[in-house]
Amino acid sequence: MQNKLNEINTQAALNASTALSKLTDSPVDIEISNVEIKKVEQLSPVISPEEIVAGIYLPVTGEVKGAALLIFPKETAFTFCDLLVKREPGTTRKLTELDESALKEVGNIISGSYFTVLANTLHVKITEHIPIFSFDMFGAILGQIVSKFAQEEERVIIIEVEFYFKPKTFRGYFLLLLEMEKLEAIMGPLES
Amino acid sequence: MDIEVKMGEIKGGRCGETLTASGVGSCLIITLFDPELKTGAMAHVMLPSRDRRRRTKDKGSLSDDLSSKAKRENNLAKEESERASNSAEAGDTKYTDTAIDEMLKRLEAQGSKRGRLEAKIVGGANMFTSFVSDIGRENVLSAKENLKEKDISIVGECVGGSQGRSVEFSVSSGIVSVKVKF
Repeated sequence: MQNKLNEINTQAALNASTALSKLTDSPVDIEISNVEIKKVEQLSPVISPEEIVAGIYLPVTGEVKGAALLIFPKETAFTFCDLLVKREPGTTRKLTELDESALKEVGNIISGSYFTVLANTLHVKITEHIPIFSFDMFGAILGQIVSKFAQEEERVIIIEVEFYFKPKTFRGYFLLLLEMEKLEAIMGPLES
Repeated sequence: MDIEVKMGEIKGGRCGETLTASGVGSCLIITLFDPELKTGAMAHVMLPSRDRRRRTKDKGSLSDDLSSKAKRENNLAKEESERASNSAEAGDTKYTDTAIDEMLKRLEAQGSKRGRLEAKIVGGANMFTSFVSDIGRENVLSAKENLKEKDISIVGECVGGSQGRSVEFSVSSGIVSVKVKF
């Protein structure tokens, strides 16, 4: 069933990059950097725990349970907000409510692309919940989500996605955590 | 020398060393300091209790009829022995209660006396204010309960709120410094 998962990932990345390109009027590259099945506390992402980031948390429930977390390092978030709310480049130095909403919308678009493909391919119902925003240390934001999953589940499938905006060289990080038990019940065993 | 304590870990330190934890949200940092030996330990815990997780997981299968009572007691005894044999398992130190036990075991093995240990706790925030989560608060409550049970006094705390924190514990002085984003 690993193939099916790869197919979902590729299609979702394509949809998300098209949607993001439209939103920002600039080409966006999306790269699935890592797909792993492990205990959630073993997650070791590339961003330093003390780095200040904008984090958008998007929980999903239904026949597949999990969450998506979209992360923009501080400067990337500022540059991205210039683009989204059409300010002069380099003028965003603080995130307003409008910026938060814009970033949440980006979260909705990316996670929406992924979960729509997942739901359609697997013929399951997935309910997306409203995005929740936090602007703080990366470790603190991720830690709370990891703890929540560690409390409930033994194993999750972790999909790490990096995306690049061209010609500007800023990047974001998107993390998907899906509960293994339900996913395996639908797709069959994922580990060999 | 700086020693980093990651999520779910426990580390010990000696005079001259600094134990650090970066980006602490709902997790809780528990430091124990022995002012006489100038040694200490830091735990970076994620969840309040190992037993609580087990109970949550088993909730659906528990029934109250008498025939299952014996079976349940048998299972509990089995779980107890399992827990004892697993106590060195790395995963255990992600829970507040088992992490405190493990820190005490290590410090006492090095000659520390429980009565003179000083505890400090940092963290237990809720990073998503529009989202109801009790993990941080429960971590704090669990640590306070466990330390009280073991007669260890908490001499300093910086807990709750909705901000991430970075923590440094100097094992020479016992001083714990906390850094936030602004």
